[in-house]
Formats: sequence, C-alpha cells, structure tokens
Amino acid sequence: MRYPKKRTVFFKDERREQCMPHLYFRAAFGPYMRTFLLIWALIAAFNGLRAQTPSTVSGYVNDSTSGEALIGASIFIKEIGKGISTNTYGYWSVTLPNGRYTFTVRYIGYATFERTIDLRANLKLDIDLRPSVTEMKQVEVVKEKRKSNTESTDMGRIDVDVQKLQTLPALLGEVDILKTIQYLPGVKSNGEGNSGFYVRGGGPDQNLILLDEATVYNASHLFGFFSVFNADAVKNLELIKGGMPANYGGRASSVLDITMKEGNDRGFHGRGGIGLIASRLTLEGPIVKERGSFIVSGRRTYVDVLAKPLINPESTFAGSGYYFYDLNAKANYRLGPKDRVYLSGYFGRDVFDLKGSLAGSPSFRIPWGNATVSTRWNHVFGPKLFMNATAVFSDYRFSFSGGQDQFAFKLSSGIKDIGLKVDLTQYPALRHQLKYGMQYTRHIYTPSTVEVESGDTDFDIDTPSKLHAHEAAVYALDEYDITEDLRVNVGLRFSWFAHIGPFHEYLLGTDGRPDGAVDHGAGKIVKTYSGLEPRLSARYRIDENSSLKASFNRNMQYVHLASYSSVGLPTDVWIPSGQNVKPQIAMQYATGYFRDLADHTYEASVEVYYKDLFNQIEFAEGATPDEGANTNYDAMLVFGKGWSYGAEFFLKRRLGKITGWAGYTWSRTMRLFPDVNHGRAFPSRWDRRHDGSLVVSYELNPRWTFGGTFVYSTGQATTLPVQRYWIEGRLVSQFSERNGFRMAPYHRLDLAATLKNKPEKTITDKTTGETRIVKRRYRSSWTLAVYNVYNRANPYFYYFTTEGSTSTGDLRPQAKQVSLFSILPSLTWNFEF
Amino acid sequence: MELRILNLAGLAVCAVIFGACEKDIDVDLPDAPEQFVVEGTIEPGLPPFVILTRTQGWFEPLSPTSLAGIFVGGATVTVDNGDGPIALDQVCTGSLTPEQLVLVSELTGLDPALLHAVDLCVYASANTALFGEAGRTYTLRVQVEGHELSASTTIPHPVPLDSVWFKLAQVRPDDDSLGFAWCRLTDPDTTGNNYRWMARRISHRSDGSAEDPFYISPFGTTFDDRFINGLSVDLNTVRGRAPFSNKPEDENEEAGFFKTGDTIAVKFLSIGRSEYEFYKSYEENVSSSGDIFSTPVNARGNIHGGLGIWAGLGVYADTIYCE
Repeated sequence: MRYPKKRTVFFKDERREQCMPHLYFRAAFGPYMRTFLLIWALIAAFNGLRAQTPSTVSGYVNDSTSGEALIGASIFIKEIGKGISTNTYGYWSVTLPNGRYTFTVRYIGYATFERTIDLRANLKLDIDLRPSVTEMKQVEVVKEKRKSNTESTDMGRIDVDVQKLQTLPALLGEVDILKTIQYLPGVKSNGEGNSGFYVRGGGPDQNLILLDEATVYNASHLFGFFSVFNADAVKNLELIKGGMPANYGGRASSVLDITMKEGNDRGFHGRGGIGLIASRLTLEGPIVKERGSFIVSGRRTYVDVLAKPLINPESTFAGSGYYFYDLNAKANYRLGPKDRVYLSGYFGRDVFDLKGSLAGSPSFRIPWGNATVSTRWNHVFGPKLFMNATAVFSDYRFSFSGGQDQFAFKLSSGIKDIGLKVDLTQYPALRHQLKYGMQYTRHIYTPSTVEVESGDTDFDIDTPSKLHAHEAAVYALDEYDITEDLRVNVGLRFSWFAHIGPFHEYLLGTDGRPDGAVDHGAGKIVKTYSGLEPRLSARYRIDENSSLKASFNRNMQYVHLASYSSVGLPTDVWIPSGQNVKPQIAMQYATGYFRDLADHTYEASVEVYYKDLFNQIEFAEGATPDEGANTNYDAMLVFGKGWSYGAEFFLKRRLGKITGWAGYTWSRTMRLFPDVNHGRAFPSRWDRRHDGSLVVSYELNPRWTFGGTFVYSTGQATTLPVQRYWIEGRLVSQFSERNGFRMAPYHRLDLAATLKNKPEKTITDKTTGETRIVKRRYRSSWTLAVYNVYNRANPYFYYFTTEGSTSTGDLRPQAKQVSLFSILPSLTWNFEF
Repeated sequence: MELRILNLAGLAVCAVIFGACEKDIDVDLPDAPEQFVVEGTIEPGLPPFVILTRTQGWFEPLSPTSLAGIFVGGATVTVDNGDGPIALDQVCTGSLTPEQLVLVSELTGLDPALLHAVDLCVYASANTALFGEAGRTYTLRVQVEGHELSASTTIPHPVPLDSVWFKLAQVRPDDDSLGFAWCRLTDPDTTGNNYRWMARRISHRSDGSAEDPFYISPFGTTFDDRFINGLSVDLNTVRGRAPFSNKPEDENEEAGFFKTGDTIAVKFLSIGRSEYEFYKSYEENVSSSGDIFSTPVNARGNIHGGLGIWAGLGVYADTIYCE
C-alpha cells in the first residue's frame, strides 16, 4: 500500500490574504503558474501561425421532427478531413479559409446530412436532421461512424443513450438512469437496489449532479432504491469520472450532467407508461411553432395505494403510507436567430407517513425532496462566440416530525442555493476552442435541527442558525490541436468560498461542551478558503484507430455530506466548509489507451488512475443527531484522508443489431482518519477489488428488442463484532477493524423483452382501392423484465443476534444475512403519440 | 432514537414492498486477543462492587459452563478513596445463601437461577471506609494474570426528582391498566448534569412471577441536560425488559408498559461524563447489532488496560404505586 505523499495544499484564510497578498499570491499560484504560462505561450504561438480566419460557418443542429437540439452531433469537413461536434445546446462553429467545402453532419439514429458550400463570407447554417424510421435506414445510418472515442481528449467521459435504456431490464420496470451508470467501469453502487454511485473511490457527495445546470443534492427516492430522474424527461446524460474540464467545479470526483428534453416545437406529442409501482405521463408541444416549445413530465408511485389493502387495519400502523412523485417542466423560446431562452424546473417529493392508529402509539411524517429551477439565456455574439447565462435555484429539504403522547419533535435539514453562471465558448479557429466563465452561488444550509417539546415545556434547544456561504469561481480552458496528433485541453479554475454570518459560534470548554458563544453578524466573513484547480488532459493519436490519453486534475469541494448510516439515507446532512471543516481536495492522475476495433464497430479502452482525497469528514464514532444540537455544527465531525487507485477495462459494441458493453474494474479505495479505527487505514464501504458488468441490447426486428445485464462485484466491506462480553446481564459486542470483513460477492442477472406495435400501417384508399404504408402516429410497447433471474440472495447487510435465553442456558449466537430483492418480474406498458 | 425509527420504518416499507428475506449464515471471524472486562459500581452508603470477566469469541458456544468460565477469580482488586488503597474481598456464589444470591443478582443483573447453577466470583468489601460518599473520588486497580487495569470515578451529588407517578397510556380508549412511569425533573442551573433512570417492579403478582429480579434501565434513558438545563420537565419511561427475558409480559401486548397494581422502585442516577458516555454507547451497542443503518459502536469505557466501566452513582431513590 502506497501511502499518499504529502502535497502542498492551497487554501488561505482571510487574515493572511489581507496582510500578505503578494506572498499569498506566490504561494497559491507559483507552482502551477509557470507551467501554465508556458503551455499557454505554446498554444498562442501555434494559434498565431495558423490564424487566417477568413470566414466562419456556425449554427444549430436539431431533430427535424421535434426541434430538439442534438448534443454531440458531428460535423465533418471532407476537404480538410477534420470535424467538430455540437455543444450542449446543439451549437457549432467553425472557421475556415474561403473556399469550397462539403459538410457532412452525422448523428446516430439520424439520416446523414450533406451539403457543399462555397464559403466566401460568414454563414449561418442551421441543420435539421431527420430521424431514420425504418429498420433498413437505421442500419444504413448506424454504419456512419463517429470516431469520438480515439479522437477527443476526453477521458473517463461517457454519454449514455437514454432511449436505449428503455430496452434494458429495470427494477420493477422503473427505468433508472443512475442505476445504468453503475454498470460503467469505475462507477460503483452501494449495494442492493441503491441509486447512489461512487466514482473512482470518491464519496456519494463528490458527484456533481446537474439537471439543466442546477445542482441536485439528493438524487434518490425511497431510501435510495430509485433515482429522481424520470427517464421520459431526460434527453442526454453525460458522466465525467476523470479529467474534469475546468468549466465544472465544486465537486471532487465526478460530474453527471443531465439535460432535460426541450419539448417538440413542431407538433403536440405525448408519451407515458403504466408500470408495476408507478405511472408516468409526458406532454410536449410548441408554444409558437418552430420558435418555442414546452415539455411537462410527471411520475407518481402508487405503492401506498397498493399496499393499503395488505396492511391489517387492526395493526398498530394501519394508515401508514409511502409515495413519491416527480414533476419536470421545461420551456424554451427562440427570441431571434441569436437568442434563445430556457426555463426548466424539477420538483420531487418523497412522503412517508407512519401513523399509529391507536392512542399512545407514535406517529411520524417524513417528507423530503428536491426542487430546482434554472433559467438560461443562449446568446450568439458573433459566429465565433457563444454565451450561456444561467440563473439557478436549488432546494433540498428533509424533515422528520413525530410525536407520541404529549411529546412532539421535529428534525430537519436541507440546503438551498441561488446562483448565477456565465459560460462563454469561443471558436477562434478550426480545432481550437476556448471556454471561459464565472459562477457564483449563495448557499444556505440547515445542517440539522431538532425541536422537542413535552406538553407545555419546550426543551431548551437553540434554534440552530442556518449557515450561510458564498461560493464563486472563474475559469478558462483551451482545447487545441498542437500538432495533427496531439490535442490538449488545458484549463485553470480559481474557486473561492466564504462562510459568512449570521453565525452563532459556540465556544467550547475543556470538556468539549459549549460554555459560551460569539455571534458573527449578518454578512460578516467567518472563514474563507480559496484555491487553484488546474485541469489538464491530452490525447496523442498513435494511428487512425488508436490513441493514448492522460489527464490530471485538482478539484476543490466546499461542501461535505456527513452520514450517520452507510446507505445514503435522506438523514445525511450537507455541511459547509468553515472554521474547522476544510474544503475537500482531490487530485487525480489518469492515463489510458483507446482503440477502435473492427472498422469502428467496437470501442475499447484501458484506463488506470490514482486519486488522493484530502479533508474528508465523517461523524465521530457513535455520534447521533441529537448530539449535534446546542453546539457547533462541526462538533461531531472527525477528519481524515483517502486514496484510491485502479484499472478500468471497457469494451463497447456501438453498431449493429447487438449493442452494449462489458466493463471490468480492479480497484482499491482506502480511508485514513486519526480518530477512526485507532488511526489505522481502512477500506471504504465502496471499496471493491473486482467489479464487472455486461450490458447487452439485441434488436431482433423493429418489433422485438431484448436486453440483459449481468453484474458481479467483490463483497461489500463491513464491520462485524469479533468478541462479546457482558454488562448488566446484556451481551456487548466488541467490534474489530472498521470494514474489516467482506460480505459474500454480489452478482445478478436481469433480462428484459420489449414488444412494440408495428411502426407502420397500411391504408387502403376507399375510392381508388390503392394501398399505401404510413407511419403510425400512436406507438406502444410492452416491456417484460425479470430482475435477479436466478434468484441470488445477495447480501444487503449482516447482523448478529442471539436466540434462546441465558436463564435456560441455551443462548445461541447467530449471524444473519438480510437480502432485499428476490426474483422480481415486472411488466410495463409504454405509449407515445 | 429518531434516526433508528426512521431506519426501521424504511426497512419495514421495503420489506412490505419487496419481500426482503433473511437467512442464517456462517461468518469466519478471526481470533482476537482476549481482554479483561470490569463492571464496577459504587453508590453512597454501599460498598464498591466489582465483577471481573474476560471477553469471548463472538460465536463461542454459550452454556452455563462457558458463562462461568468468563468470571475471573483470584485477582487483586483495590479501591482507593484518597486515603490509600484497600483490597476488596473475593465472594463466590457457591458459598452464598439464597438470600445473598438474590442480592448478588440485583447487583450483577444476572439471573439468580444462573448464579445458582454456576460458581462465579465477584469482588466487594465490608470495610465501611470504602462505603460510597457523594463528591468523593475512588480509584480502582486490578491486577490479574500479569495485567493491570485501572480507573477512577467520582460519585456525583444526586439530583432529586420533584415527583414520580404512573399514568395510563390509553393504548386503547377503554384500557385502564397499562401505562408509563413519569417523573418531574428540575435540572440544576449548571450544565454538565448526566442522568440514568433505573426501575424495578418490586410488587408480586398473584402468581408471584412478575417481579423484576433487579433494576432495569430501558434503552434511551441515559441522558444529559444539554436540552433541559435549568428547566423543569416531565419525562416518561417505558418498562425495561430484563436481558433475554421470555416472560409473557415481555412478549405480549403488555411489553414496555407498567400496569396498575405494580409497585415500582425507582433509582434515578446522577453520573459523571465518562460514565454517561459509556452507558450511552453501551445502549447503542446492545440495541444495534451491526445493521447497515448505524455505524458499529464499541462501548466506550473508562478502564485503562481493559474494557468496561467503573462508575460512581449518585442515587436518588423513590417509589411509584401504580393506581
């Protein structure tokens, strides 16, 4: 085991900055700045040599039937043998010397567009791609290739085709995009049924989950079994697990960037589904034809309705119920050729009611959920400069209220963000892209508050101050082809965070309990941190089909998630950096070999990475939420570090009737906390030595599609007692090493079959008797899925118990395994029109 | 407590929906070095009382013989009240009368039947110089099989309860027998008070079977004055269940309730901070057996060189007649 070397960590406190700005500047910028200036100079030099910039072609690529922007469509210019791809908004721009060029625009599942243009002046070229409908055309189209895998500088970056997910088996028929990304190498799940994901040894809080650029803080429903993302409303999903570009920040490990559909601006359409536990409905249509559109998508579970008859009305908890719902809505409008605005929102809630039907029995109500709103404005300043400005609002809240007899209590926590973001993309020349921008977020945290009352007596629990903070960042990145074969993406991000008042700081006495307090006034800075986050990735093309890539990134994260449990419950608390809680810092080094095989039918890659994580937090051993009241929000935390390394193997079949991938990861993830496990390093819960998955989709004909997934991973690390002793006649367990045991390995096979109605129907003209084939307007499909086909009892957790009694002398110690999901068939009916 | 309820609720929901199942498994635990465990208390007006045991492997078979084997005799145990160490005497149950066995059972929390079945040794003293005094500090030293264990504790001044009473819980509107024990506590105006509630039914039912063999502290009744400093509050507690009890009233709808006709002896303990930390973590440890919803917690004792607790208890005693 290699122990991570101590590295210089750059953050500052305010006082130091005030008295020694120049020293601070040198300390913070010095080591990286020289390298960056050098690289920048090199790029500028090349840029100068090549700058001829006569004319620019730019525009949007859209779906011709719905007007949806196509993200990542490739625009290839035959004459120079090079191409570019569209951005998140479907925009592209390329600058070429005047001349005659053939533009070929390709996107999987769409007919290819080709046009020859005699370029003499700047030109706006909006392209509508026609989706291929029939099987024949589809085969034709998929033969068109994108060479993105070996071409781009992207490492550990994966796009997931949301359409394809519908044909893969899903737990209880609920298509779940977060579960699907767990099948990718380098991404781990946290046990049975959980949507939480862990990227290259990072914790669940280290994933930046963006829904239309708004941060989603808790992406799961029902204690983690389902994700909050309704696949019907999602257009595109991109996961970045390494080599994070500088435009993303605020999280240490990964980015999951989810783009909602925009809605069809040509005609009114709908889709939906009826499943075992939930139903969905999505409606979309134009606001003004080809100028603006909307989409509204809703989903609600009816487990509560289904379970009610099963609960005995005489039982203590009759009347209890659980449900969740989601609502996604989005509208966009083109103000003119240069301006487009978007408004998108998400609202979801889980509500769990536990009603004691009898007097004296306890009752609880536990609602939690996210709300996000983002407003965006795309503006094209000129053909070479694209701007997106975003205002975001995000609110996650959890509350737990209950009562018994004359007692009432309430536990609540949450986080609220209001932010502003401006991102500019500049296309100075072909194969040269600059991005720069700034972000600002105002955070308001409710770390964890408890209110208790008994009859008329209010317990003396201070109304805990909400915690306030500013977070800001500026960044610039430059993606550039230095030579024909060497492309670099170099970026630098500077982030700054301030914990500000009002803040009621408890002063702790020698016994660690508060014996005084200081109040920091509203807006007064309590503590600041800042730092530089260099990002670098490079691709070297070995030949047409293979390339080598390498990346380095340093990420700072100013928010932490502290968890009392190990399964990602909504009781987990978001905690800002502050006087004692330093920002999380991640440094990741990765390199990989990428290769296209069999005439681009297959993509293969091998990546290795090493990641250091600093300033990790955990609750102290044995801490419970009530201990967090009447003291500082960070009083129960302990601090440590972590590291992870691994190798990831990925083989993907992109084209043909059978598509899918196989992934395998070998990795190790460790944590080291001086106050946990006697200061000895221990494996994190999501440490898995071996982790493999196989995902296959087979399209037999236009009506039948089959899907299958298989996963295998090393057993989860867990802590078990090794010894026992007796106190007051009760058996006390003495635990050994933290996470020192492995549960049985996890493996599972899921299968699904989807039957669609015929895509076309024959119409006979009554007058002429002629028959013709037309496309059906109403499409529907049935998906039969079987989860855990061979009924493997995968361990969810182990616990130890005893049977018998000491008084009879026949007490038997016993270990038990709890498993969640046995074989579970499900049937879902989907429709669209 | 709240968290645990949420967790259980979550599990219950999942179990209903998905039919969670469980099965017995074999787990191969490594050998861990044996450790000595102290369970010692000292109260005002009573002699110190120390039980010395050793740890066992978690899966070692349990029988009266193996239980007897964990009690460690032959140790040198001394208590120092500041005037110099005084050795405790070893008392073995084999030499005790049935009445004395009942007394030992009360002190150890071990079933009298078990004590009768096996011969085990504890440490106490009849020396009145060692009888507990509130406000005094007592240092314990144990020398056993080449190991030395030590701890020190102070008996806090007890905080009296204003009143104690029984109130019907009205689980069903027409129920007129089941209820909880209540007390009114006025917490002193200085922070740092830690409490533990213990209760014992000393009445006999008609069949003479219901009496609690010893004082029982229900889970969740070790608390401090963090939220109630200087306040007068009414607190209720459930009836604690004796360890491994299989009595009918612990398994039917009466579980957790006191009943009209019960006479409850209450011991309301004032304890020091490290004692509080021990009992709190002990409760956590005993009530969760390593499930996924809680992080495993070892009981955080105050014994140097071993496990367990040496606790000075400031005792306020009262009696509730359930009517």
